[in-house]
Amino acid sequence: MSTIYALGLVLLFLMVLVGGKQGWRSFLSILLNFGFLFFAIVLIEFHVPPMFVTAVTGITILAVTIFMGEDDLRITVTAFYASLIVLLILIILIFFVSHWAMVQGFGNEDSDDLEGMSILIGISYLKVSVTAIVISTLGAIAEASIAISAGLTEILEVHPKINNSRLIDGGMAIGRQIIGTTLNTLFFGFFGGFLSLFIWFAGLHYSIGTIFNNKIFVAELIEILISFLGVLLTVPITSLVMVKRRDQVIDKSAETK
Amino acid sequence: MIIKWSRRKIYLIIGMIVCGLLAMLFVTHNQRLYRQPIAQVVRVSNEKKQRTEDEFKNVDHQTTQKITAVLMNGKNRGDQVKVQNTFSDSQPLDQEYKVGNQLFLSQLRRDHGKLTANPAGPKRDSVVVFLGWLVVTVLLLTMGKAGTFALVSVVINTILFLLAVSLDLHNQGSHVLLIFSGLALIFTVVSLFLVLGPTKKMLATLGATIAGTTIAILVGVLVLHLTHNRGVYYESMQYVTQVPRPLFIAEILLGSLGAVMDESSDIVATLFELKQIDPNVSRTQLFMSGRSVGKSIMGPLVNVLFLIFMADTFTNSLLYLKNGNSWGYTFSMNMSLGMVQSLISGIGIVLAVPVVSVLGAILLGRRR
Repeated sequence: MSTIYALGLVLLFLMVLVGGKQGWRSFLSILLNFGFLFFAIVLIEFHVPPMFVTAVTGITILAVTIFMGEDDLRITVTAFYASLIVLLILIILIFFVSHWAMVQGFGNEDSDDLEGMSILIGISYLKVSVTAIVISTLGAIAEASIAISAGLTEILEVHPKINNSRLIDGGMAIGRQIIGTTLNTLFFGFFGGFLSLFIWFAGLHYSIGTIFNNKIFVAELIEILISFLGVLLTVPITSLVMVKRRDQVIDKSAETK
Repeated sequence: MIIKWSRRKIYLIIGMIVCGLLAMLFVTHNQRLYRQPIAQVVRVSNEKKQRTEDEFKNVDHQTTQKITAVLMNGKNRGDQVKVQNTFSDSQPLDQEYKVGNQLFLSQLRRDHGKLTANPAGPKRDSVVVFLGWLVVTVLLLTMGKAGTFALVSVVINTILFLLAVSLDLHNQGSHVLLIFSGLALIFTVVSLFLVLGPTKKMLATLGATIAGTTIAILVGVLVLHLTHNRGVYYESMQYVTQVPRPLFIAEILLGSLGAVMDESSDIVATLFELKQIDPNVSRTQLFMSGRSVGKSIMGPLVNVLFLIFMADTFTNSLLYLKNGNSWGYTFSMNMSLGMVQSLISGIGIVLAVPVVSVLGAILLGRRR
């Protein structure tokens, strides 16, 4: 049996053991996200415009992660709308930043991997890099928006008459509670992948100036900073969306009681 | 909605704008600090596009451009230099330059009295500074004190990370796992201390994080061993200068650490809250609520890491497919390592749920 199957089975077993039905759904959401990610690559291979693929894959992955991660529609619908707004802002920002930084394609450090490859594939690597950066931030946006939205739903359940600015304050307070650990998740997630690159840089004594202009390093750093920004934007935006949707949320709470 | 602008916030905004302007001023005028020649493009003339086609029917176009640029540092500062550059439509390793771009030069030489050079990549540091400034500003404005602590934690961890890398190089990569496990331990203590302070909560979270991550790595290594690493292509690991396998395990360890910490601290926080509401809460109740919090966070968290790890393989996978490789081979050579990393991290995230719930229940619950 190949290692990936074995590890997948162990993960599935543990998820169902710990989470029951919800664990099974979580596993399924990872599988689906993998499917959509691979599908996105295949679509770009067939020359579908990368920006279109980015938008469609982004929305789909957000929907899968949010709606399969949580049952409560009061939480998920708000989280989904909020994350769509954040996604839109990020796509615009990433588009602007990556045209400025020009970190598409490969760096000189990749030349070993590229040996024997034909790299002129007629698809703009710049657009592909926008797609990749957007995809890397989606999970973080979805997770943060669910956390904020869940907290706000609970506040509305206990205090249905709370005024809007207090509700937003509540959202920001939840944000302050999760921000430290969420940034840690992203920081370590990215630095895990950084390790070998850093050893390379340090081993060959790259200067600070070289590193901060290096294509691969700058590309990775942009990914980290954009996901930080995504999470930071998610907090106020989810709170604002909750203010707009509070009547529906309270109605639903009354129905379920 | 009324936004209350406290005086402190206004000072902060003014301070950040001043800092931002100064930083941008510095980074757009720091060319003299670089030893490598930098020039700004003042004139570009593009020649006719040349069509290229490879054996896989990928069509692209290459354009040669003659660039006139003005040197911004070195002893020929202010002189014009001629640069010849070729770029393609897809721009994988090459780069189109436009008027106003700043670029690094290599092989600067004098030919019949005229300076010529080769292009060696655009100057990118201003983007990094701008984006970094934007993140710090938004972080401090929206998150206040919590944001400051998060920032301090990221800075300290980066420094520790760099120290560990140089320690690893000093040992020529012979104790990779030992060094980076130690680093992971210090990371956890520092991050949790900064987020939670020196509390009982922090100790419980710390214990759970260490236990969860350790078990996950052990399970992962065991499965890798039992299946003889079948389908795991260490040779496809990027930028490797040391023995790939221990390096890969160290990457998994570091990568999953943040997520396990995140989840453990969420669960522990809930358990402490329950204890506060009802001091007589039983161990079983605590365990059950820990589990119910955990099972709703674990799915999104695994997805966070999964998307980070897999997005990195995006460009390379596309290249493989465009070079006539099958889906299976493309997956094996580009995505298999990311997949293994995601799966082992996922196992850690899931295992941390019962571990932290049991730990919390023992620490806080009453025996019945």
